[in-house]
Amino acid sequence: MSQLLPAWSEPFATDHRAALRRLQPFGPIDRSWAFGSADGDGVVVAIVDSGVEGGHPAVGGALRESVRVELQGEDAAVVPDEPIDAVGHGTACAGIVHALAPKATLLSVRVLGSDNRGKGLAFATGLQWAIENGASIVNLSLSSRSESLYATLHDLVDRAYFANVLLICAANNVAVASYPSLFAAVVSVAAHDVRDPGVWFYNPHPPVEFGAYGLDVEVAWKDGGRIVATGNSFAAPHLAGYAARVRSAHPDATPFEIKTILGATATPAG
Amino acid sequence: MTDDRDALLPTLHAVALRVEAARRLAPPAGTAVLQSIVEATAVLFGAEAASLALHDAGTDRLVFAVAAGEQGQGVVGLAIDSGQGVAGYVFSTGQPLALSDVERDARFGRDTAEQTGYVPRSLIAVPLMDDEGILGVLEVLDKCGGGAFDLRDVELATVFARQATVAIRSSRIERDTANLLRSTLRGADEGASTGSGSDEAALDSIVAAAIDRLGADDDDPLWALADQIARLRAADPYQLELVRELLAVLVRRAERGRGRVR
Repeated sequence: MSQLLPAWSEPFATDHRAALRRLQPFGPIDRSWAFGSADGDGVVVAIVDSGVEGGHPAVGGALRESVRVELQGEDAAVVPDEPIDAVGHGTACAGIVHALAPKATLLSVRVLGSDNRGKGLAFATGLQWAIENGASIVNLSLSSRSESLYATLHDLVDRAYFANVLLICAANNVAVASYPSLFAAVVSVAAHDVRDPGVWFYNPHPPVEFGAYGLDVEVAWKDGGRIVATGNSFAAPHLAGYAARVRSAHPDATPFEIKTILGATATPAG
Repeated sequence: MTDDRDALLPTLHAVALRVEAARRLAPPAGTAVLQSIVEATAVLFGAEAASLALHDAGTDRLVFAVAAGEQGQGVVGLAIDSGQGVAGYVFSTGQPLALSDVERDARFGRDTAEQTGYVPRSLIAVPLMDDEGILGVLEVLDKCGGGAFDLRDVELATVFARQATVAIRSSRIERDTANLLRSTLRGADEGASTGSGSDEAALDSIVAAAIDRLGADDDDPLWALADQIARLRAADPYQLELVRELLAVLVRRAERGRGRVR
């Protein structure tokens, strides 16, 4: 029997992977062509999360800018922030991206730690800022369950897609709908049970199309620490790291093409 | 709804006043429910400790209300930012979090240890969440025997926390005057065939106006009376009998006094 996985991760479990087998639509695309030794150089990855600890060894000085969303009544504003992390979660994601794509530049958009009622608004505002401020890949290891934000987030996802910004979203750890992780234009990621950061699977049955390493992952955490954590949150940045490498090897590739390349270079299923 | 606001407000204010009086008369908030939740959590997961933090909307902080297990007690009363730390992350995102090997890095728990005297080796934190929203966070700390929590534990904790949320909400919904008014108004609005639909901000401002100044004057004789009656309700039968006799004497005395004046 395979190990228990977070919600949405079942198709990637050992026992179920045979169902992922299919005719590969691409011949010559392999990992050496897709990214080879590319290291994310020239690519900007935004981490929309709890902040990123800039001085953490796992982040390796790759953090270029930190901002946070501040709620002011009914409005939200993006203001400069210290390179800090209120939780450790954002630093964990940043550390995973940096380990895979060490030359990629990181932006931190802190959207947690604000008033509870405005958190959906803070999330959407932070995502919009990332899209409009130079990120070419955005890691979203969090999502919103708010139905009232459905349209706003859908619009932002379209805007990102047309602005050539690739959004990598962790699927919810609980089996409920949350956005934007279930929108078609994003790369939606759940966790598999193979303890190898270089293994990812492609699932031709949406909404969650990718499975990456997210079970008992040793990650960076706040105050320079490291812990072992589990969740789809830690699977998404693995794909973000590889996407950054694809982008640095093929700067002209669009989000659609990067998703295709990631699908074509996924670990053979079965 | 906004158009009828002028007519609605005095009624709402009167309702709020009665609810507030009833709330003050009720026995102390449902700590017993919370305590039984953390006790059950610790037993269910074979954990060294469990704790429960509730969100205080007034201060936007998470306040640890109860804990189970000897080790866990230090956390009770601790208030943290609603976006800070593991509990803050779980509260702000609604996502469960499972961490292990926490103690391997002493830096992780420095803040916590200073405040609670206890850093767990491993933990699960899940949101206390239902369709209405997130009330707080339930934490399960350290499996007895030292093993790590697995995803099955996380899943079970998530389901359990949902049940706990229902219990907490039903034990306290009538305790929060503002919430009660808000949910009643929202229900009335959705039920109305006009379908005008008031937005949340309008609803909030109506509720705020209705409960405005409600508890502002604690010296108000109404609240003094409510407080005394609430204390009486907690008294044992012997004390109640004593009070009843005292009151009877006072009433007789008052009646005689009135007779003299006449």
